[in-house]
Amino acid sequence: MPTDLLILVSVLIFPGGLFAFSLGLMLKGVDRRVAARLQGRVGPPLLQPAFDLIKLGFKRTMVPDSAAPGVFLAAPLIGTVAMLLAVALVPIAGVYTPDPRLGNLLVLLYLLSVPGVALMLAGSASGSPFGAVGFSREMALMLAYEATIVLVVAAVGLRTGLAEGGVVTFSLAEIVRHQQEHGAYLLDPLMWPALGAFLFFYPANLGIVPFDIPEAETEILEGPLLEYSGPALALFKVMSALKTVVVLSLGIALFCPIAPHGIAGLAVWLASMVVLLAVGISAVRVSIGRMRIDQAFSFFLKWPLLLAAASLTVVVVV
Amino acid sequence: MLLARNLKQIAARSPWLYRINSGSCNGCDVELATTACIPRYDVERLGCQYCGSPRHADIVLITGPLNRRVKNAVLRLWEEIPDPKVTVAVGVCPISGGIFRESYAVCAPVDQYLPIDVNVPGCPPRPQAIIEGVAQAIEIWRTRL
Ligand code: SF4
Repeated sequence: MPTDLLILVSVLIFPGGLFAFSLGLMLKGVDRRVAARLQGRVGPPLLQPAFDLIKLGFKRTMVPDSAAPGVFLAAPLIGTVAMLLAVALVPIAGVYTPDPRLGNLLVLLYLLSVPGVALMLAGSASGSPFGAVGFSREMALMLAYEATIVLVVAAVGLRTGLAEGGVVTFSLAEIVRHQQEHGAYLLDPLMWPALGAFLFFYPANLGIVPFDIPEAETEILEGPLLEYSGPALALFKVMSALKTVVVLSLGIALFCPIAPHGIAGLAVWLASMVVLLAVGISAVRVSIGRMRIDQAFSFFLKWPLLLAAASLTVVVVV
Repeated sequence: MLLARNLKQIAARSPWLYRINSGSCNGCDVELATTACIPRYDVERLGCQYCGSPRHADIVLITGPLNRRVKNAVLRLWEEIPDPKVTVAVGVCPISGGIFRESYAVCAPVDQYLPIDVNVPGCPPRPQAIIEGVAQAIEIWRTRL
């Protein structure tokens, strides 16, 4: 069946699998390089994350005595597979539209929370007290930011659905098509609160400063990842690289999927990824410090949630 | 075969550093932090990264004279670091005990207990010396991969 084959290709080669994997590693490299430049350093080579992965492949994976070996080794696998599926769910404007059978925005939301769950599993299965602290922090953070992203997605879906004459739509392909015909939500003042809320959501979801609390290496020694070494740690690195791709491209698909068709569209998409990364991740990362978990928790239940709720209300009322 | 060798050459470009303070006066640790954090000395150029967990480490930097209180903890920590690894002694303390030598409380020299690959003498050593030590350690590490 050709469509089945197409789905397989989209999960394993483009835009999932190989493509997303190399793109994710490149983005990580760009991030480290930009952060170093902003601090006035030279920084590592662009391919450094790839070197790191190869290095980790040569190291030994140690399983601590106190760990539950099955879960300990399965956790990174679960997270990585979920992210592979998730990449194939996000459309690239003018280039790629996911097969509706793969799933819609709601499936994507569930898949997006899997890496967090994988980290929690890893932390609790590693049997280390730091892992346990990381576990509880990850859980608190997830509780705090999940509500925000659900409301943001609902607002975008509702706005598209209402404009198209139906009710709410959870098809990302439809959201992208609507924006291509009627202009990006980035330029629609009604959607700005949702955009703001999303901008708070994604550093938390990606676990970067100021919300890298569960993996704070200076206080809890990378929490859930503390006990991992060798190939298992490499899988976690792959997972986080893929997740960067998913979350950034989700942001682009939700708010600014305006691009020409074909190769030019891909180039525009890549450029917006890099810009979003450099401005939204690297620059933020080097200029502020980490929040405490209670600060982050109450912060998320205040501002981003308020913004997201406001945007949902505005969409319903207008 | 050739592929494996090439991959190993590439892998050697990603040495992660881990610091063990075995009772140092903190002078050496400050220099290590300087080496990492100050733009002028940036070790990230070499692909180095300080990691928080011994399980992620490739190159171990030991400072201090290994005092009696922390000896067992340090030895255990060193065991927890997955092979292949390279051990670097930073400062004159791990070499001879430095200003703490002849004290009843220190077990220096450290190489009675751990196989030290590179010594970086100095009290404290300059960042340039530390970077050179790390570069030598990378060369040794390359042969062990
Ligand atoms: S070598 Fe000197 S600076 Fe370094 S720990 Fe020993 S006494 Fe302190």
